[in-house]
Amino acid sequence: METHFLSIIIKNLGKSYNVAILKDINLEVPQNQILGIIGKSGAGKSTLLRCLNGLEQPTTGTITIDNQLFTGVSDKERRRIQHKIGNVFQSVNLLSRLTALENVMFPLKLFKGNSKDIRSQALKLLHLVGLNGKENAYPSQLSGGQAQRVAIARALMGDVSLLLCDEFTSALDSETSLEILELLRDLNKRLGVTIILITHDMAIVREICDEVCVLEAGQIVEKNDITSILLHPQHAVTKSLIRHLMTKDLPHHLQEKLNKTPTDKCFALLRLFFSSEAAGDPIIASIVKTYDVPINILLGSLDHIRETAFGSLIVSIPFELEKITNIMKDLDQRSVSAEILGYFPQNGGHSWNS
Amino acid sequence: MEQLVLHSFLETLFMVTASMFFGTAIGIFLAFLLVLTKPSGLWPKPWISQSLGVFLNAFRSIPFIILIILMIPFTRFWVATSIGTAAATLPLTFAASFLIARIIEDALNTTPKGLIEVGKALGASNLQIIFKIQLREALPLIVSGLTTVSINIIGFSAMAGTVGGGGLGDLAIRYGYQRYDFTLLVLIVIILIVIVQCVQMTGDFLEAKLKK
Repeated sequence: METHFLSIIIKNLGKSYNVAILKDINLEVPQNQILGIIGKSGAGKSTLLRCLNGLEQPTTGTITIDNQLFTGVSDKERRRIQHKIGNVFQSVNLLSRLTALENVMFPLKLFKGNSKDIRSQALKLLHLVGLNGKENAYPSQLSGGQAQRVAIARALMGDVSLLLCDEFTSALDSETSLEILELLRDLNKRLGVTIILITHDMAIVREICDEVCVLEAGQIVEKNDITSILLHPQHAVTKSLIRHLMTKDLPHHLQEKLNKTPTDKCFALLRLFFSSEAAGDPIIASIVKTYDVPINILLGSLDHIRETAFGSLIVSIPFELEKITNIMKDLDQRSVSAEILGYFPQNGGHSWNS
Repeated sequence: MEQLVLHSFLETLFMVTASMFFGTAIGIFLAFLLVLTKPSGLWPKPWISQSLGVFLNAFRSIPFIILIILMIPFTRFWVATSIGTAAATLPLTFAASFLIARIIEDALNTTPKGLIEVGKALGASNLQIIFKIQLREALPLIVSGLTTVSINIIGFSAMAGTVGGGGLGDLAIRYGYQRYDFTLLVLIVIILIVIVQCVQMTGDFLEAKLKK
């Protein structure tokens, strides 16, 4: 992947209404990258995206898109740069009285005359997003996933080099959103378009992002490649977002019993995350031997970050602070990322054993 | 008698179509002004939208029969006479345009905020957003609104007789009520019912066609 050319440069960006929403954001996004901006609600993700698509003007700082200054320029200049940016919004926002094809053609129809070229590009994009045969369907005749595909095709019309996606999977079921994410990754590869997507869901980030940027209280608190973020999260917010992702896999009745703090005679629930290299060692066996603890495996699965496979285990160990600390250190040395997801009370939590 | 009814029917037809035509033109203009200049609009000028709103409400509170009388000097200036069908059309046009302004304003305001932002993010101008997005999306609602106003105006046109405007309503009052011609009265009522029914059906048909 060529990453020498920067698609976006954000410098000292700040946005405030009565209170500061964004503070001193500095970010560089190489061309062709898929960057995820993740954060809890109210962290400032949407405002950042609205500065990037020109719907809001930042209070301070600058944004440069494809080597052209995007902030503090004339309306005309801003509109010219906006033509290079495609937007996929949270709600699909198709024109209800236009067909799928006409909706895709809409952005260019607004500005240019040659409708033959526009039509052929729109048809090509509709095919690319997998909507052959739906050209003449109206939005009311499309499913949520299909409508979102039309919106993505529309966003890519013209010579768009940057695609901004705003929580767009929130209205879709998980299977459909996986399909849409796959489509985005495919478009990123085929068309070389840079993608920035904002979300509160680590699962989406894990699925498609190269880089992740964690936003909290209007500031970037952590930025790293996806593997490092998932295996070695630094900031508390990142950790909590990942913990949420991990515990989501747990059966419901176990999730309910999970405590955040250890109690007397409880079990610690650990998530072990190991790459294929570490998978060769008999890690569990050796820990049972070394520390003389009964390890109970609750859940095992093959996890993945983009195309790399990772083994993932959820185990429970009787809680003894010293032992657990040592075990965690030991695991870390064996390049297994371990994290405590929570604690089970001894009696109630034990029912899954039988 | 057939002659009389036919003549009155044509008068009604003229008054209603002419006032709806000009009323829609003025109404669309006023509605755009209201929508653009409202505080959250694309060209926020609250003093325009607010004073225009007060003005429209003031005129809409005047009963139509009073509006006709109040407008006599104005009508005389514009139509050169204050009696006759053409003279009755002017107050009808005004009444129609105020109603239509509000109805189109409501219709334009139903455009989802997200759809307007799609336009803004595409770099569309305010005029492009209002014509190519808002007006286009609101068209079915506007058509159904215009249907309702047309029917209102058919009713209003009955009062046109006050200034010698003629029309079916006037005929019903003068021949049917004042001359006790009950048959004629019933006949005119039936004709009016048929006209309203036809207008409603045409409106519904167009709305269904426009709605996808």
